[in-house]
Amino acid sequence: MRGQSELKGGMRTAGVERVIAQVLLWGGLLGGLLVVLGVILFVGRGGFERPGLEVQRLVRPGRADHPPEVFVSVPEVLRALRARPVDPLAVIALGLVLLLITPVASVAAAIPGFFGEGDRQYAAVAGIVLSMLLISLLLAGGAG
Amino acid sequence: MPLTTFFVAVLLTSVGAGTVGAVLGLGGGILLVPILTMFFGVDLHYAMGASIISVIANSSGAAAAYLRTGLSNVRIGFFLVMATISGALTGALLMNVVPVRWLELILGLALSYSVVATIQQINVELPREVPSDWLAMRFGLEGVYYDRRLGEEVKYRATHVGRGVAAMYGAGVLSGLLGIGSGAFKVLAMDTFMRLPMKVSTATSNFMIGITAAASAGIYFTRGDIHPLIVAPVVIGVLVGAYLGSAVMTRMRNTTVRKVFLPVVIYLALSMVLRGVGIHLL
Repeated sequence: MRGQSELKGGMRTAGVERVIAQVLLWGGLLGGLLVVLGVILFVGRGGFERPGLEVQRLVRPGRADHPPEVFVSVPEVLRALRARPVDPLAVIALGLVLLLITPVASVAAAIPGFFGEGDRQYAAVAGIVLSMLLISLLLAGGAG
Repeated sequence: MPLTTFFVAVLLTSVGAGTVGAVLGLGGGILLVPILTMFFGVDLHYAMGASIISVIANSSGAAAAYLRTGLSNVRIGFFLVMATISGALTGALLMNVVPVRWLELILGLALSYSVVATIQQINVELPREVPSDWLAMRFGLEGVYYDRRLGEEVKYRATHVGRGVAAMYGAGVLSGLLGIGSGAFKVLAMDTFMRLPMKVSTATSNFMIGITAAASAGIYFTRGDIHPLIVAPVVIGVLVGAYLGSAVMTRMRNTTVRKVFLPVVIYLALSMVLRGVGIHLL
């Protein structure tokens, strides 16, 4: 028992850790790059020349009334991306959505990762965590 | 404030918050939310939306370094995340049922105890031989990492896992109820109760906070709290900061990390006790 558990916590984790690290690294990098790209497009359009940013919410939280630059659903972001010329803020929002789903993707990737190491116990733990994540996203009531 | 000034100032602030967050295993929200609201006049909802994204950016940015060096223990992380998310779901269900002030007071007192416990082991570089724990054995809550500062391989094993799980569940309930990040509580539970090396605690917390933040990020997004122009400089800054912080932390002593962590816990304990008696610092 002791020997087995020592193996578990030790060097054999390299495989699944690498899979998780790759997902987090590339998700973070790609999301970050999209945000940078969106900012560059925004500056190119003269976005920074406007007088100032409205940092106070003028409306109460809710789906119905939100300022035009705030996106509240994935379809809304995609619609703004299809528009020509492309809305730079939609490019930023796409990067943010990608960032938001990155941890969920890393948990999903961990399941086959643990299986690959023959660790069914932790494949099950990762499966439970993934289901809990999906339940809380559903409770959030959006496709976020 | 002109947009350019706002953007550059928030970006630089976020580099700092991301660096500290990556070293201490916190999302950085504990630093960012007060700064955004007090110094930049950002609405609290937008500040919290930016904070939840910064947690995920921080976690992703630092993950590569921490997972490669073996400082983040994914098994301990996954095991404890189960407790935290269950707690967060419970908290969301208990909303408007339980008097929040009592919870804040209880949490404040628990944190005050943690302050004492942290001071007691402030100079402990690595935990000595810890009592055997059946949950730690059953779930393989142990590991080994190469400590660049000490120049040696460090083996560790968790103890008092039950208490750690209870603390994680409690932290989850609180974060579900109050919407506050629970990075600090995760680190405390691993360092104080489970007696893991401090750097393993903060690095593993860094891995976990991304997952727990993702669980609640959806609600911030659909509620319209995520403003692209406020979040953009935060994300860019935090990603850079997380990269810097994780590079620095792997070379730090465990005791140094704990000393940097102490003022954060004192601040949290104080603000929670005060909230419990009806005084809001923020």
